[in-house]
Amino acid sequence: MPGSIVSSCAVHLFAFVPAKWKIVFAKLSKFLTKTPAMKKIFFLTCLLAMANVLWAQDISITGTVTSADDGSPVPGANVILVGTSTGTITNVDGQFTISAPADGTLEFRFVGLETTMVAISNQTVINVQMATSAQSMEEVVVIGYGTSKVKDLTSAIQTVKADDIAKAPVAQPMEGLQGKVAGMQVVSSGAPGATPTVRIRGIGSYPGSSNESPLYVVDGMFFNNIDFLNSSDIESISVLKDATAAAIYGVRAANGVVLITTKAGRINQKAQISYDGYYGVQVAQNVLKMANSEQFTNMAMESGSPADSMYILNAMQRYGRSTTNPNVPEPNTDWYKEILRSAQTQNHSLSLSGGGERASYSLGTSYTFQEGIMNMKNEYERFNLRSKVDYNATDWLTVGGNVLISNATTYAPQNGAWHTTYYAVPVMPVIDEQNVDAWPSQYASAEDLGYRGAKNPFAAMDYNENLTKSMKVNTNFYAKIDFIPRKLSFKSSYNQAFTNYNQRNVGLPYYISNASQREESTLSKTASTFNNIIWDNVLTYTNTFATNHNLVLMAGMSYRQESGQWLRAQGLNFPVDPEQAWYINLSETIPITGVGDGGSRQYGLSYFGRASYNYKYKYLVYATMRADGSSKYQEKWGYFPSIGLGWVLSEEGFLENSDAVSFMKLRASWGQLGNDKIQASDGATTTTVVNTAIDDVLTSGTLTSSTYSSLKWEVVEEINIGLTTRFLENRLSADMDYYNRKTNNAVIRVQVPMTGGTTMKNVGVIGNSGFEFLLAWDDQVGSDFSYHIGANLTTLKNEVLDLYGQQYIDGGQAEFRQRTMVGESLLAFFGYETNGVYQNADEIAADPIAVDNGLVPGDFRYKDQQAPGEEGHGVINDDDRVILGSYFPSLMYGVDFSLSWKNLDFSAQMIGQNGAKILNRKRGEIIWTNDGNMDADLAVNRWHGEGTSNIYPSSAGLRKGWNQKMSNYFVEDGSFFRIQNLQIAYNIRNWQISGAEMPHIRLSFTAQRPLTLFQYNGFSPEVANGVDRQTYPIPAIYTFGLTVNF
Amino acid sequence: MKLYKNITRISVLLVLMLSVGACNSVLDEMPENTKFTEDIDYTISKNAILPLIGAYEQFYAKGWPNNPLMSVRGDDVNAGGLGDQQDFAETDLFNYNKDYWMYNGAMTDEMRVIFHAHSTMEQVQLYKDASGNPDADQYIAEAKVIRAWVLLFITRTWGSFFIPTSSDPSELLVAELYTKDEIMQHLSDQMDEAIPELLDLNPNMRTDIRGGVTRATALAIKAIANLELEKYQEVADATGQIISSNKFSLEPDFYELFKIPGKLNNENLLELQYSDFGQGEGDRKAYLYAFFGPQGWTPKIEGSQSGWGFWEPSLTWIKFMLDRNESIRLETSVLFTNRGISEIQKDANYATLPNWISNTTRSGDIVNDYPRAFFASGKHYLPSDQLTPGRKPYGSNKNFTCIRYAEVLLMYAEALTQGASGTAGSADEAVNEVRTRAKLTPLSGVSNQDVMDEKFAELAMEWGTRFFDMVRLKKYDVLSYEGRTFTEDLIFLPYPQAQVDQLSQLSNPPAN
Repeated sequence: MPGSIVSSCAVHLFAFVPAKWKIVFAKLSKFLTKTPAMKKIFFLTCLLAMANVLWAQDISITGTVTSADDGSPVPGANVILVGTSTGTITNVDGQFTISAPADGTLEFRFVGLETTMVAISNQTVINVQMATSAQSMEEVVVIGYGTSKVKDLTSAIQTVKADDIAKAPVAQPMEGLQGKVAGMQVVSSGAPGATPTVRIRGIGSYPGSSNESPLYVVDGMFFNNIDFLNSSDIESISVLKDATAAAIYGVRAANGVVLITTKAGRINQKAQISYDGYYGVQVAQNVLKMANSEQFTNMAMESGSPADSMYILNAMQRYGRSTTNPNVPEPNTDWYKEILRSAQTQNHSLSLSGGGERASYSLGTSYTFQEGIMNMKNEYERFNLRSKVDYNATDWLTVGGNVLISNATTYAPQNGAWHTTYYAVPVMPVIDEQNVDAWPSQYASAEDLGYRGAKNPFAAMDYNENLTKSMKVNTNFYAKIDFIPRKLSFKSSYNQAFTNYNQRNVGLPYYISNASQREESTLSKTASTFNNIIWDNVLTYTNTFATNHNLVLMAGMSYRQESGQWLRAQGLNFPVDPEQAWYINLSETIPITGVGDGGSRQYGLSYFGRASYNYKYKYLVYATMRADGSSKYQEKWGYFPSIGLGWVLSEEGFLENSDAVSFMKLRASWGQLGNDKIQASDGATTTTVVNTAIDDVLTSGTLTSSTYSSLKWEVVEEINIGLTTRFLENRLSADMDYYNRKTNNAVIRVQVPMTGGTTMKNVGVIGNSGFEFLLAWDDQVGSDFSYHIGANLTTLKNEVLDLYGQQYIDGGQAEFRQRTMVGESLLAFFGYETNGVYQNADEIAADPIAVDNGLVPGDFRYKDQQAPGEEGHGVINDDDRVILGSYFPSLMYGVDFSLSWKNLDFSAQMIGQNGAKILNRKRGEIIWTNDGNMDADLAVNRWHGEGTSNIYPSSAGLRKGWNQKMSNYFVEDGSFFRIQNLQIAYNIRNWQISGAEMPHIRLSFTAQRPLTLFQYNGFSPEVANGVDRQTYPIPAIYTFGLTVNF
Repeated sequence: MKLYKNITRISVLLVLMLSVGACNSVLDEMPENTKFTEDIDYTISKNAILPLIGAYEQFYAKGWPNNPLMSVRGDDVNAGGLGDQQDFAETDLFNYNKDYWMYNGAMTDEMRVIFHAHSTMEQVQLYKDASGNPDADQYIAEAKVIRAWVLLFITRTWGSFFIPTSSDPSELLVAELYTKDEIMQHLSDQMDEAIPELLDLNPNMRTDIRGGVTRATALAIKAIANLELEKYQEVADATGQIISSNKFSLEPDFYELFKIPGKLNNENLLELQYSDFGQGEGDRKAYLYAFFGPQGWTPKIEGSQSGWGFWEPSLTWIKFMLDRNESIRLETSVLFTNRGISEIQKDANYATLPNWISNTTRSGDIVNDYPRAFFASGKHYLPSDQLTPGRKPYGSNKNFTCIRYAEVLLMYAEALTQGASGTAGSADEAVNEVRTRAKLTPLSGVSNQDVMDEKFAELAMEWGTRFFDMVRLKKYDVLSYEGRTFTEDLIFLPYPQAQVDQLSQLSNPPAN
């Protein structure tokens, strides 16, 4: 009889709910049982509540919670009677009072501290010291739509804490994570304001459409990058790497998920004001040494090209001869030195956080300024304001709001100048007084010496300005209702992220020489706005049945709307002076073809759920499911399940009392993840408007396409097997994971015959697999000294498994071929294998290939890939090309070390990678610019006579088509080892002036990336896509930091 | 009661939540900023011309490597020196590389024009069916002519090929290959279909699409196709019809024909149109003439940009012209550098050159020495003082002529000297009309050799006409010039490897 069940339910309910709730439920049951449907719901609710135990005699207990670290009180700690929903929170002084049964157990919880259990055993005063939870299994981590204790996880999640993130004095928070998370590759960019490239566990999509970056979830909102965040505003970052961790984010999860929680205040916390800042300089590192005038002249003379030697003569005529070597022109310009500068960087954050009995708050503002090391107006400035408020409106309702306003201004560098500088000839000065035609500055032009171009990078740097102003307003509001305290809750959150970009690209008029000039000033402006909305509704149920069965259920839905639009226009010949006149309105001409607009609007609707169960914290089961609906594709719905299993061996009898093993857990997971960063496809033929000149009149017509793509999201299937262990009282921790990810319907380009075009189809298969290891040792020696050593290591094998029957997909540029082939990495470098350099005439005469191709000593010998007798043997042609390596590192590692002695602490972090290849395209582009400069290594170590080199061709050879074929000579080793971060800090604690308590002060000195070791002949071994043409070099940063906690 | 209210609020929230869930329809929203072909209203008769303009747009937007690659191999022109794009220079030396990007780039870019021409025919047909636009057949015929011109050059360059029948490239996966002769016949038949539908005007007299295709264009393409087939009577008939129409005449000033006054000139039967719309800045449609231009110059109008130096009139041709005492056509066709002049003079027979030869053009631009080549092409040169003030790029605002009346006259004469009978006058008259403009004395009783020499002199550096003529006449010794050796197996370029990989038919083409 439903009626009787309801009434018996009610009895149970009344036994444990607070008085107020008794009334609620009385009314509720009366109201709810009126209709059969409502009865059912109410019945279910009761069932969920029934497992609670009753208790008898209560005693009143008081006590103080302090930190084991420094004995300071811990306000805002949760004090909970185990097995019930009864609990309280410590006040500002860390004190609490609770009424509990004499035979109960109290649990003390606080984020960042080890959860502690104390049996009451009739005590009325219980004082607790809580230890810092460096390696704690009790630590609570943020997971998708909820939190979990580390010990309950079955998945691969790595968390990075605020202190660790704050160590790196970088403007982009993700850059600070470089080398810290196993399985995550971060490739920094040296350009101010540029976001680093982040890849989690390889890359499962065909590269190049920016579809490889992970999903960032900041306090519940989805982002493609987090350039708007200030490092010191981040409380923690959780990187969800495997399928069970990430699958709850369904179609957005395939590239991994980075969950970011920003700082919040705490209940019953004294107001804390803190200042955190640094100021420092950035210095170019490993500056590529270019051939000087003498070496360059030498190369030109040896080139056998009359033109090249003529240019040298011209330079001597125009600028005079060097006094030290009269055969060399007087100028000896080190162009990289000319375009580099040391640049300042600074960051200042001010925050206030705290809380009363019902509300907590956190307010903050920060200012970041970073100059670029390229000597032009190249800088990044960001000003942030944030506020986060949580309010326990009633004992069953919590509401909160979170607002972040970020204003940033970026003056982008002219990366082309890095490229021009490489070829800039050293026999020319920067300024040439004789170049009287040049204006506004008298920059020298290599054209005046006979060269094909001006080869002066200052034109690009001085007469261009690319400004982007961005404003982002990210808001988040939520209401959380506890239907049953600590057991059944419902949370509805509404997130809105609004972004406004104003871009202004200006080209100022100038003249250096014929090939380097701009007569009319050009101005183009783009205004774009993006507005993304996510509304989440999540129901969470937590309970323990029959003491040993622990269950958490979560169900939710999410509505998503992403829209954006942009408008662009151009003006020519606008008033150059003053800057306030840089408007299209004031331009003489507004070309029609410079006007364009665009927009997109996509909707998503998702339902998801999670069940997490364990028996005695020993056997763990964790399952998630997400159904994602999307308007982006013709197919609307995708389903993404995952399951994880865990076995905590240390809870078993044979390990339970082990001294050595503190914790050991075996984990395994499987799941499917989606990637909807795949471009939307038309799914039908489209018609576009084009225009052309008919009788000198711009006339419009239409083009109807005959091919189109019909796409859907990619699905990644991932298996993860892991082991989590803690040894020697948690001092040693070791984690290991094996992962295997397979993108089953990767979008690849399928060639359309005879059009040079392709259509995209979900037909490729791409695999990524490898191991991840994490090791850490933490120890405290005496009361003054503690230290930590940690290491992480990742292996990666990226492999194309199927290309829809195609033999290969060509990528890169024709002259610098990158080929995607089954069994190899994506976009692997593809070309000839050199086999030394012909040293003398005898070697030439002995090799029919050399004779046939008219080679001379100093030319490359290429490996004939066909064996004798095989077709094609004895000829070097395109059939002799092979895979030359991939730009993905096969091994990445990080090592960190820190120690703290009294008031002094010190930390060091080292990172490195192996196995990646870099295409040195700067050298390669001699194909097009055969009279430019080259790096000193090449100029000095060239072949110039028998035995001088077996690696580099002769100067004449460099200019010859035979030696310019894409070969392993251009593909270099990208391995590196780097000291990523060194920090030394002094803390001033507990000091007074005239009896007044003074704030805690921390002074620090940080060296970011002070040393990088590598073999590659370039500025930096960090090249995101492996092709180094105009990579912005990554500077070392030296800063002084100051933290003051009032 | 207060709590009861709260419950109500929760219920509202839950209802809202469920109602959003019911909003599945948002998932069916159409993408923004896209016009689907299925949404076009084909009953709007006046819009039938839009797909045709699209076909012209695609035709005029041809990639810059196409024309040079397909016409570099004759003894009239060289590739410019080495140092960049080696395999382009190697092609000029008859060393072909099937993997060279320009082969694949040029073939696929030309095919793009063909597929869009088919798309135009299909779209215009839809307008015709829905709206009954009376001009639809003319538009379709124009697209056919554009397609024919492009397919003509693909076949001349690569030999056996496909005959596309629709705008869908995937049809080629199962299509068969035709021999060059079969394709030439197909083009001739296509032109027969198009001719009655086209306007019988000089393109410059058209009012709807000035400079577009007319009947004479189709006749000229028919003539070229039949020339390839050595069906000289067909050539004589088609060219004779153009001559008799009296709608074309030679531009008296040969030099200016290749400059701005040559735009939509009475002499032109087909040209690619470009413009900067008379404005010194802003919108511009242009061909990349820089490829053909000299690498260094001192232009009369300061700041005008120079070219890349990839198109060099051959010493063979210059000497041929000097032997003939040509001045007008030689001056128009060649930009001399001082280095080039002394290179000619190295040959004792040419130690003394006519006084007018200098590195300063008639228009006052000075061509400086540059390492890549001795000479640059004058036909692809626009004097800096003819640039619209404000414009800097080399050759901006210059059209690219495809078929000239001079070629029609010479094809007519060629057909007659090959034994065909003509109704539009004698071979002498046709040749002398061309010679008169070049200020040369008239000939009488012209032989086929005379006509071929005249073609060499008149059409050098344009569209590879010389190469295709010599191949057709099997004069391989003529093509074996300046150190090269030409043999019959070198007539066609190899199919680009990228296409062979996809279209297995190409590995086994029928013999031409």
